[in-house]
Amino acid sequence: MNLWRRATSLRLRLLAATLVALALALLLAGVLLSGLFRDHVMRQFEAALTQQLDQVTARLEFDSAGQPLIDPQTLSDPRWQKPYSGLYWQLDRTTADGLSRVGVLRSRSLWDTSLPLLADELADGAVHVHQGKGPLDAPLLMLERKVKIAEQPDARWRIVAAADMQEVTGAVGSFNGVMAASLLVLLVLLVLAALAQVAVGLSPLRAMQRALADVHEGRTQRLQGRFPTEVQPLIDDFNDVLDRNTEVVARARTQAGNLAHALKTPLSVLDQAAAGTQVVHDSELARLVKEQVGLSRRHIDWHLARARVAATQRLPGQRTAVGPVLAGLVRVMERVHAEKGIAITVQANGAPLFFAGEEQDLQEMLGNLLDNACKWARSTVTIAVEPLAGAQPLQLQVHIEDDGPGIDAAHLALVGARGVRLDESVPGTGLGLAIVQDLVGLYGGELTLHPAASGGLRATLRLPATGPQHPA
Amino acid sequence: MRILLVEDEPTLRAQLRAGLVEAGYAVDEADNGRDAHFLGDTEAFDAVVLDLGLPVLDGLTVLKRWRDGGRTMPVLILTARDNWNEKVAGIDAGADDYLTKPFHMEELLARVRALIRRASGLASAVLQCGALALDTRSGRVTLAGQPVSLTSHEYKVLDYLMHRPGAVVSRTELTEHIYAQDFERDSNTIEVFVGRLRRKLPPELIETVRGLGYRLVPPP
Repeated sequence: MNLWRRATSLRLRLLAATLVALALALLLAGVLLSGLFRDHVMRQFEAALTQQLDQVTARLEFDSAGQPLIDPQTLSDPRWQKPYSGLYWQLDRTTADGLSRVGVLRSRSLWDTSLPLLADELADGAVHVHQGKGPLDAPLLMLERKVKIAEQPDARWRIVAAADMQEVTGAVGSFNGVMAASLLVLLVLLVLAALAQVAVGLSPLRAMQRALADVHEGRTQRLQGRFPTEVQPLIDDFNDVLDRNTEVVARARTQAGNLAHALKTPLSVLDQAAAGTQVVHDSELARLVKEQVGLSRRHIDWHLARARVAATQRLPGQRTAVGPVLAGLVRVMERVHAEKGIAITVQANGAPLFFAGEEQDLQEMLGNLLDNACKWARSTVTIAVEPLAGAQPLQLQVHIEDDGPGIDAAHLALVGARGVRLDESVPGTGLGLAIVQDLVGLYGGELTLHPAASGGLRATLRLPATGPQHPA
Repeated sequence: MRILLVEDEPTLRAQLRAGLVEAGYAVDEADNGRDAHFLGDTEAFDAVVLDLGLPVLDGLTVLKRWRDGGRTMPVLILTARDNWNEKVAGIDAGADDYLTKPFHMEELLARVRALIRRASGLASAVLQCGALALDTRSGRVTLAGQPVSLTSHEYKVLDYLMHRPGAVVSRTELTEHIYAQDFERDSNTIEVFVGRLRRKLPPELIETVRGLGYRLVPPP
């Protein structure tokens, strides 16, 4: 999986393609250069040998008996004299019938060997090039030329000049070595350049990746930063989608609110009418209306809450600071439950915590739990907020504890079921906890209810969290 | 006790008015934010029932303007949008309690009673002054356990005085808090009500402070 992901990495693809192309290009260049150099050196070598051959040819004389004669003293190159020096000449005689005598004369450097007879027929004066093995098995380049002299019309003389090719192969070899090293250095430099190019070229993509991660983890709401012109349209489009998403949810919520407003006011009117003095005589109708209004109200509350939950669908990039939301709700509770004189304490030590989700949802969950706690509490409600140690992805916990009568174990299971109210004497719709549980489920959290040490109820809410925002 | 009722839906407003009047409150009405703000700013009310969704000027703005202008009467907000955001915003704007529509009249009356009592710094729903007891929930007045029969206006005067034990209450103040704005006010009628109350209750209970008004004197 990891390997596959690496193989699909843009960076790796670019690098691999560059590397292969560079290696092929440099290899081709190496082969071509090496060939050219070898040709050039060989031509030079051959030219030099041709000169030597010309010199030997020029020194060829015949004595009065018709015997060929080459005075070694007249040949300037000292290598002619030194045995096996690598520079040789040899004079062969071929008769008209094709018989040959090899090595009529030869250079002192050939010592006791002779150059192999080359079995080919030459036109007079033409020069042939051969390669072959010479003394000590050295590779030789041999040039041969056939001469005819006027005094001996039947005889053909073949002059061969040969030179050891080792110095050529040596030169070519050392050239190849230096060239290979240079090309290798070039390859390394080019690969480094390609790496730098890929890094610079792909850095906007990495920046985009980081920006996406920020949105995903809720540190930002949109993709932040400036990107190159090639990438910016994508970023803008994506931001538009995010904005539209947020807008759609906001509109859905507003419409849900408007619907509530539109329906609830007439329901209030009906309810008041049923309770009013004018229908007291017709108590059956009044009872029916009141009952149906109550039912409608529950339906509206339930379905609106569900609609709100569905609209949330965990938009990416959402984060809500828990502290301010709790503080706002505590202000409401302190004011609304002022009569009872409940002391509400919030324990939140350490760094501020952030809920990975929508503010209204957090308010809904905490508000309902807190309202329940305050309704039942005798004198104190304690709220504790803490990060869940070691949770990955991050999570946070909110404990809300009251010192009220609590709920016995048999009834705990019933709590949270839709519309179930354990005590009809306290105002409420019986929807609060069910909505909390819906929302908690949507966010992948958990709501647990336990008896508190003080005898009351302890509600623990576990929710996804996000880290603090990136410094801008 | 005088209540300002702000609600734009005419039927609901009429019903609420009927319920409040029946419970013994003098009720002034407004059907938009601008009128509501003006009334609350210029008249003396013991409590306000304020709908948040109002034409011209929304309820939250009205409430903020009152509080910024130093008006401290208790305010109960009515909200149809059942979300905590609005409740927090309402409380932060200076509301004292909220009620989500639809609601029962009894619930509204209980909240209003509690708000008025809280504003007077009284803890119990039953107001006591020596042997005299006034149950704000039932509107029953008893003297040493025996019920005392009072007319609605007598009850209103006693109710207002009992919310301010020991304080001097002028006739004008009593008039303001017992009659709604459009009522023909006559401070002389207050004297009549006080005189009747003195006959039904121990006469020394309501003291006349010359030139200032009346004071409910708790027995030593």
